[in-house]
Amino acid sequence: LSKKIQAIYLWWHKPVIDQELLQSLPNLRVIANSGVGMDHLDLKLVASFGVKMANAPRAVSSSTADTGMALLLASARRLVEVYHIAISSSMDYCEADILGVEVAGATLGIIGMGSIGYKIALRAKAFEMNILYHNRTQRKAQEEQAVGATYCKKIDSLLQQADFVMVVVSLTPQTHNLIGERELELMKPTATLINISRGAVVDQEALVTALQTGVIRAAALDVTHPEPLPRDHPLLKLKNVIITPHLGIKTDKATYMITEEAVENILAALNGLPIPNEVLPS
Amino acid sequence: MWYHKPVINKELLQSLPNLKIVASSGVGIDHLDLNLLSSYGVKVSNTPFVVSTDTADLGMALMLASSRRLVEGYEMAVSPDTEYFPADWLGTEVSGATLGIVGMGIIGYKVAERAKSFEMKILYHNRNQRKKEEESAVGAVYCKKIDDLLQQSDFVLLAVNLTPQTHKLIGKRELELMKPTATLINISRGLVVDQDALVEALQNKTINAAALDVTYPEPLPRDHPLLKLKNVIITPHIGSATKKTRRVMMEEMSESIQAGLAGLPIPHEVL
Repeated sequence: LSKKIQAIYLWWHKPVIDQELLQSLPNLRVIANSGVGMDHLDLKLVASFGVKMANAPRAVSSSTADTGMALLLASARRLVEVYHIAISSSMDYCEADILGVEVAGATLGIIGMGSIGYKIALRAKAFEMNILYHNRTQRKAQEEQAVGATYCKKIDSLLQQADFVMVVVSLTPQTHNLIGERELELMKPTATLINISRGAVVDQEALVTALQTGVIRAAALDVTHPEPLPRDHPLLKLKNVIITPHLGIKTDKATYMITEEAVENILAALNGLPIPNEVLPS
Repeated sequence: MWYHKPVINKELLQSLPNLKIVASSGVGIDHLDLNLLSSYGVKVSNTPFVVSTDTADLGMALMLASSRRLVEGYEMAVSPDTEYFPADWLGTEVSGATLGIVGMGIIGYKVAERAKSFEMKILYHNRNQRKKEEESAVGAVYCKKIDDLLQQSDFVLLAVNLTPQTHKLIGKRELELMKPTATLINISRGLVVDQDALVEALQNKTINAAALDVTYPEPLPRDHPLLKLKNVIITPHIGSATKKTRRVMMEEMSESIQAGLAGLPIPHEVL
């Protein structure tokens, strides 16, 4: 069977692509990833076997942007906490337990303004938010104007002004632990951190401390490191944290579109044609 | 007046001979008998505009939380029994879906503005059609008959006032017109929905899910079936519950009271 395999469609990081697997599949020509993140793949290793790689960048952007907004709103309005109050067997609660923070007029700082980050900006604009962004490169003026976004060349400037900080970067050696103790302390004590990128972009221990000591108000995390977290992890117990099980692209429509993109990539590779979403080791 | 307390009835009005004004928090005045109050010479005010944005935001928050199964997902993420996240656990997409707004007042329109940025197709039903420019600004299509809206929508959001005409506006017939994959979102008043019919519709999968910021009564009795259904999110009437908005509401109510006591024109008077 191993000699027949020419393509792998990678779903949720399985199977693990290591030297052993690559050696056992001599006729493998392409690995098509579901989703956009490639941090779980050793790109150089795969390329050294002459195997091509592709991701599915288009299909993920709307669903992931929606997840980011869902988390921002859920955290701002304390949705999970108040839901538990609404269904609890006791009917006593005080007003202070249900008051949230305003979204309209608040400042959203987007770290990573790729396709997903930009879709978030489009949505946030409709919620009358002020938008700041930090990115490796500045976007074109018309793109900025369309969403009313202001570029922050230094991440510090964004962190100091934002009421909501949304992390939307790829995981690379440069973005590993991008948000650590220093960055959290630059944030406002009333600010919320939302992470829809990768768990390893945030220094989790520093985050726990920051949340416990009121350095920031709250966090909403669709991604952690690892996933799922160990059951005794402090993040699971903090009242001001919403954790979701990597919802990013988990919708019927998105998974369908991702599979379509992956199939396109696989067919192109097997027919020796240019691969629409080829990912090269940089 | 806060959260409909105290109850304003004949007994109370008779016992307060010098009562000049009732300042009600929020925009809804369905809990007040305006004719009765008027007959006692008591003026009424509300806080109509300040609540609109937060309520629209909450409508969106509920739609997103329900469609992406946020509350269920949270429980999975923190449950002591979770060992892994199943790959086939999916929600439904908001982007590109059809939203039907029932009641296109200030709040309904703000919801439309937000939904447009999610590339949603927007239908609306209202007593009156909005101006063309208002419709085009949000890409909203008027449905003169509510049935058309109900049959085509993936999400049905209720943003009407409670009046005798909107009482039980959404009942068994309306729920059966909705798609079996559709979600009902209520940010108006509990009584706009026939709650028993809703429970049945959710249990029989006539509709997919519901997200309710309002119920009747509030809160629901603790043994009410709505509290136990997995496909229902209930929030304790938090439409306007943000620190900033509550503060402004208080300020407006104080202004109205002061004007009422001084015999001056009352800001936000309800006639």
